[in-house]
Amino acid sequence: MEREPAQRISQKALTLWRIYGAIQVGIVILLSIGLFVAVLLWDWPWWTLLIALGVLFIELIVSVWLIPSLRWKRWRYEVSEHDIDLQHGIIIVTRTLVPMVRVQHVDTEQGPLLRKFHLSTISISTAATVHKIPALDEQEAERLRQSISSLARVAEDDV
Amino acid sequence: MFEPRKLHPISAVINFVKTLKDAALPLVIVFVLNGNMFRGDIEWIPLLIWIAVLLLVLSSGIIRWLRFTYRMEEGELRIEYGLIFRKKRYIPIDRIQSLDFSEGIFHRPLNLVKVSVETAGSTGSQSAEAELTAIKREEASELESLIFQEKNQRQTDIEPEDESVDLKKGGREKVYGMNMREIILMALTSGGAGVVISGVGVFFSQIMDVLPLGTIYDEILDWIQIGALIVAFTVLVVLLIAYGISIFLSILRYANFSVFLEADDLIITRGWLEKKQMTIPLNRIQGLRIEENLIRQPLGYATVTLISAGGSIQKDTDHQLRLLPMIRKKEIEKVLQPILSDYHIVRSFNKPPGRSKYRYMIRHSWFAFLAAIPISIFFFPYGLLSILGGILFAGLGWIAYHDAGWRIKDNQLTLRTRNIIKQTYVMKKHRIQAASVAQTLFQRNADLGSVRVTLKSGVGGSVAHCYYLEKVDTDQVLSWYKPPKQIESR
Repeated sequence: MEREPAQRISQKALTLWRIYGAIQVGIVILLSIGLFVAVLLWDWPWWTLLIALGVLFIELIVSVWLIPSLRWKRWRYEVSEHDIDLQHGIIIVTRTLVPMVRVQHVDTEQGPLLRKFHLSTISISTAATVHKIPALDEQEAERLRQSISSLARVAEDDV
Repeated sequence: MFEPRKLHPISAVINFVKTLKDAALPLVIVFVLNGNMFRGDIEWIPLLIWIAVLLLVLSSGIIRWLRFTYRMEEGELRIEYGLIFRKKRYIPIDRIQSLDFSEGIFHRPLNLVKVSVETAGSTGSQSAEAELTAIKREEASELESLIFQEKNQRQTDIEPEDESVDLKKGGREKVYGMNMREIILMALTSGGAGVVISGVGVFFSQIMDVLPLGTIYDEILDWIQIGALIVAFTVLVVLLIAYGISIFLSILRYANFSVFLEADDLIITRGWLEKKQMTIPLNRIQGLRIEENLIRQPLGYATVTLISAGGSIQKDTDHQLRLLPMIRKKEIEKVLQPILSDYHIVRSFNKPPGRSKYRYMIRHSWFAFLAAIPISIFFFPYGLLSILGGILFAGLGWIAYHDAGWRIKDNQLTLRTRNIIKQTYVMKKHRIQAASVAQTLFQRNADLGSVRVTLKSGVGGSVAHCYYLEKVDTDQVLSWYKPPKQIESR
């Protein structure tokens, strides 16, 4: 099990996650503006603004820069004839093995942002668990879904 | 059994009682709010409404019974019912997983049973796919054998060489029974016991405080302590009563507990007031869980629970799937042998390494220690006692470290973990849905990892894990689980 799974998810996912991060930062900015108004109107202490700025700064670094790139770097998957091998996680690195025999069905889904970037999330369900690969290239996801579902059909099931 | 059949008339009464039970609370409220209703002319009206409602409920019960028919036809169990909307439900025999029989107080004197039909599709929270409220026992067993025959016939149609099914079909073989002594012991050592024991502890600590020192302290303090004594005493009495009731209930529930093996099904019967029988097809069994709580473990007793892929069987998981509710640990293997011969009870485990020990202790106690900080500050001198709680949890972590382990034997994986209850999962490779290994950054540096394995259980999953094992070991588990690359298939 030394070798990591071979495939990586789409490079575009990185940009997508950065956008998600930016949206979060946007919320913090809105809150800070509210705080700024409150400080001006009702004489709230000035140091609260400093804290808000600090949070904003950390948020900017962590959720826009650090987390997306770490997450992308870690995400790997490999689908072979017999199993699906996944690896993900930033602080907790999880390596999951799902035998093809166990796969019940495969879905792809696409939100508005994902569609804009021509990405799809693929989720693989067994009888008891669901495993997701986020942000795959549209065509790649489609191909993968078809291949997994045909492989799963071939594999004999005994649950 | 091809003509439509009716349920026993008593089912009208059962329907009535059941509806009444659901509606009891609002009715009682109406009754109480109205106060004394037997005075004057107008005050009679609520009572009349009450009677009308009762009549309505009763007649709907009767009509429902009149409309309900069931029959076997063309390999299907066909049920037709409905008061205003006529409903037909046809269940193909192939889809029927099991028939569960139970007997309530109404059933017993008339020799009737309630039959619940389980299919794989009955989604968890929902009740059984179909329910025959009350039919004669003979009819029930006739239905059972009809279904069995039908199923068997289909099976032999597919694989005609399989003769063994017919040979085994004959009898029902008892493989395990619980005697009264064991049932009482089980009730005594259930989870509730811990609460009571700690309650008794609190009570005696109060007595110790009051009795010798009462004369020395000044009067006010004395009163406070007597107050505390009274509170402690009341709590103790309430706890004891609750404990007594729970003992009584579990004796009722588990009386006559026995496990039978019939062909390819496992049949568990239990209960005194309400007799329950449930059938678990052997091939639906996904794995075993052996549990030992803190009280039973020193006594050498354990509970064996089945993890089954059945449908609505799961709705009352705790009680229903206990295969051996309480058994001497040594005897588990002997009892399991005829039932699940391919499951092996493992004695020696591969342990997590020594450097995991303090990780276990931190894992169990960090929260308690964190909570101890504010408690110590706010209730300064006595609050410091909360640190003891943290130490207690750290001790629990140490035991958890001690108990954790894994073992692979042929195609069987055994994982043992403890939170408060020590759990041992026995799993077959071909039943595991997914396996993963997780590693935090700290564990990465120490070359440790945690294993997590999911089995199917009811509609959802049942997860077994083992923390802080050597990375090499976790990798070994994953490579054991990895399906072999079949070169010859190319």
